[in-house]
Amino acid sequence: MTAMLVLDILLVLSLLSLATAALATNDARRSVILFMAFGLVLALAWGRLLAPDVALAEAAIGAGLSGALLLTAVRDQAHRALRSSRKPVHERGRANLRVTLEWTVTLLCIALAGLLAWALAQAFDRAPKDTLAQAVSANLAISGVSNPVTAVLLNFRAYDTLLELAVLLTAALGIFALGPARPGHRAAGPVFDGLARWLVPALILTAGYLLWVGAHAPGGAFQAGATLAAAAVVLRLAGRRSVGLPTGHTLHVAMVAGVSMFLAVGLGLLVLGRPFLGYPPAWAGGLILLIETAAMLAIAATLVLAFFGGRPTPAPGVAEKTS
Amino acid sequence: MAETLIWLIAMPMAGAVATLLLPRQSTPIACVTAVAASLVAGTLLYAVSEQGSLSYEIGGWSAGLGIALRADGLSALLLMMTALVMLASSVYAGTYFTKAAARARFWPLWLLLWTSLNALLLSGDLFNLYVTLELLGLSAVALASFGGKFAAVQAALRYLLLGLLGSMMFLAGVSLIYAGYGTLDLATLTLAVEPEPVAWTALALMSAGLLLKTALFPLHFWLPPAHASASAPVSAVLSALVVKVAFYLLVRLWMDVFADLVTPAAAGLLGVMGAAAILWGSWQALRTERLKLLAAWSTVAQLGYLFLFFPVLLALPPGPARDTAFGGLVILALTHGLAKAGLFLAIGIIQQRSGHDRINELNGTAQRLPATTFAIALAGVALIGLPPSGAFLGKWQLLAGSFASGQWLWILVTIAGSLLAAAYIFRVLGHAFGNQSYPRHSVTIAREEWPALILTTLAVAGLGLAGAPVWNLLESGA
Amino acid sequence: MLTAHWLYGISGCLLLALGLRTALLHDMLLQRLIGINVMGAGVFLVLITVAYRGPGIAPDPVLHALVLTGIVVAVSATALALALARRLTAEQDDG
Repeated sequence: MTAMLVLDILLVLSLLSLATAALATNDARRSVILFMAFGLVLALAWGRLLAPDVALAEAAIGAGLSGALLLTAVRDQAHRALRSSRKPVHERGRANLRVTLEWTVTLLCIALAGLLAWALAQAFDRAPKDTLAQAVSANLAISGVSNPVTAVLLNFRAYDTLLELAVLLTAALGIFALGPARPGHRAAGPVFDGLARWLVPALILTAGYLLWVGAHAPGGAFQAGATLAAAAVVLRLAGRRSVGLPTGHTLHVAMVAGVSMFLAVGLGLLVLGRPFLGYPPAWAGGLILLIETAAMLAIAATLVLAFFGGRPTPAPGVAEKTS
Repeated sequence: MAETLIWLIAMPMAGAVATLLLPRQSTPIACVTAVAASLVAGTLLYAVSEQGSLSYEIGGWSAGLGIALRADGLSALLLMMTALVMLASSVYAGTYFTKAAARARFWPLWLLLWTSLNALLLSGDLFNLYVTLELLGLSAVALASFGGKFAAVQAALRYLLLGLLGSMMFLAGVSLIYAGYGTLDLATLTLAVEPEPVAWTALALMSAGLLLKTALFPLHFWLPPAHASASAPVSAVLSALVVKVAFYLLVRLWMDVFADLVTPAAAGLLGVMGAAAILWGSWQALRTERLKLLAAWSTVAQLGYLFLFFPVLLALPPGPARDTAFGGLVILALTHGLAKAGLFLAIGIIQQRSGHDRINELNGTAQRLPATTFAIALAGVALIGLPPSGAFLGKWQLLAGSFASGQWLWILVTIAGSLLAAAYIFRVLGHAFGNQSYPRHSVTIAREEWPALILTTLAVAGLGLAGAPVWNLLESGA
Repeated sequence: MLTAHWLYGISGCLLLALGLRTALLHDMLLQRLIGINVMGAGVFLVLITVAYRGPGIAPDPVLHALVLTGIVVAVSATALALALARRLTAEQDDG
């Protein structure tokens, strides 16, 4: 028990100090790296709090891909955006105003943290009713999967996940609308190329495994999609321009695969006289795997696109077909 | 009938997918989707007026374990307004974006925005509302930056960051609710919630996030640049719908789910912020040089009126008096939505024809674009609150309620705001009706000018002369 | 209430406040964005702490699912924000 307590205190202290350090520094690159470390410690905390599904997603998406995105933004100097808007502080009155503002916001934030913690303590003291978790385990047998988190994500609250895929699609389309991607990286040296040669198949295999295992153990479409995206990012870093990522129309198909499959299943069931996304228990497992596979493709395609930061440009020499 | 609820969400979403997969046919697909989704919204409105509230359990799971969609009179009316504004703006957007490639990129985002608006108005689950808020925020930002002009991208980025901040505050409130009550379903929560710290803190956090999203003074600063720098059809829906659905959610939480918690002091605070929004927004609208900024600042002011209703409603005894005033709030929101969308579309036409939207250089607009100028005049009638517009009925209820509860300050603010609105509208019309000597060529392109004219006519004549059904619907769908 | 609830719950609240302060006050986009992400991490930590029932007891899977959804939404928003920022700096450098 005391060992656990020491671990808890260590985890909490490193979370808080990493977050403070990441937010306090003015060096953008340093800030991002500290934030990635924060994400990894957070993944440990999820593991400690018995949330392995979340730990996997945090490590892959929260720390991994967010970090990669932020690092490329630093490389492209994108963090300078919005900075020029603030006029330099000259007059003493303005500087005083700034200090007052900083103190006010800081005090308000401290008050907010205190209020939230106090309310949370009250909520814990009411001995939380566990009705929803009980309802999940009562209906787990007919949900088509045995991992309760997957059951919630793809059956009981599948509609949330459908909208979440729509959010992902929206972000990708918004990035698309801003213009073409930046030019690719230079070709990597033989060492990295050799590394990529075995790392990429391993990542793809891992993605497939995570997708399959999600039905009964920690894992699922999102972790698998992120791993697949990681494979593409490695290839990209190795200098492959298109990384097997389709351009033009096929890319659109990959991006909307998740939303389309979800809608097709949901509306198909509606036409057959069942509720929207109301899987018949006998088919539930198969339908969930079908949706998850499509979702994994969509997530991987979108995350890679986000990493590229725009519409992929075809390799030189390959003329873009009319789109 | 309950299936209409899910169709209202699935239909625009399927349209978004189809426009993305068939880019060459995207414009006809989008138009068919817009018409079909509007018909479904009309069906729902009819169904709610006949049968009262409707609900639909997604996946067949009971609300709580699963997610329920619900529609009452308030949400059905707002869904119908959303459909009308989106339909008219879709027709206009088809002519606004002249390049086929731009249209093909525009429609999926546009239909995803529509999906999120409908999903938000129908959702009966707190966490699901968080996801719809994010979908709404991201699609609105993507559309606001559409076209990639520097000012638009800059405003969109600020808009995104503040929107995310708002969503996070909202989510913090949601997690507190789950910790305290073990449910996310709004109907279950309405019965379980009690006036205690957990509920107060959660409501405060969620409200703070939503106030940022509805741009209530002093949290309004992001709105004018974002709404004024977007393309015309996008500005129309940002001002008419996107801020309005966040306001709807506030009304839902304050008047419905957490109604037992709301104190006169809290409602009074919202009223004071609303009053400041009216005065400051109208004043800025009067001072600005550009027509689009004027329309955006006018949105800040018009949202203020909606917030004045909070202290007035709370002071009235529950029952017929409060219901009548509540009808006034709804009709004011509906009128503003239709009129402001029409105004932005009309401004878009002027901007495209003359290449600018500087108010001082509008001379001759009435000669060249008579239909569009008339649409602006109609929108002005609604923004000032003159009869026979719906806004007149709404403001009348606001004044009557303030009078009945002895809240004189709101009466003074409403009168001052209306005078300022009259000033900024007549300033525009004065320039627009100014004669210009060179030969007039009043070409009217129906697809371009009709949407604005229809929306503003509905705001003035439709809601003003036929406002009674709104009250009936709110009664039957309660 | 378990010790873990205290420790992690309060840390979640602190992270939320810390992120909020940076998101409001910092004048660099990247730090503001990281601030918002830290805020999100704080809320997620509160949710996962609420889900925790003690060692050896199955935690609440609903909250785990909500956090998974939240993580994907957060990364989508971050990606869009960075793309917008990249567009801005590209134009600033051109002009």
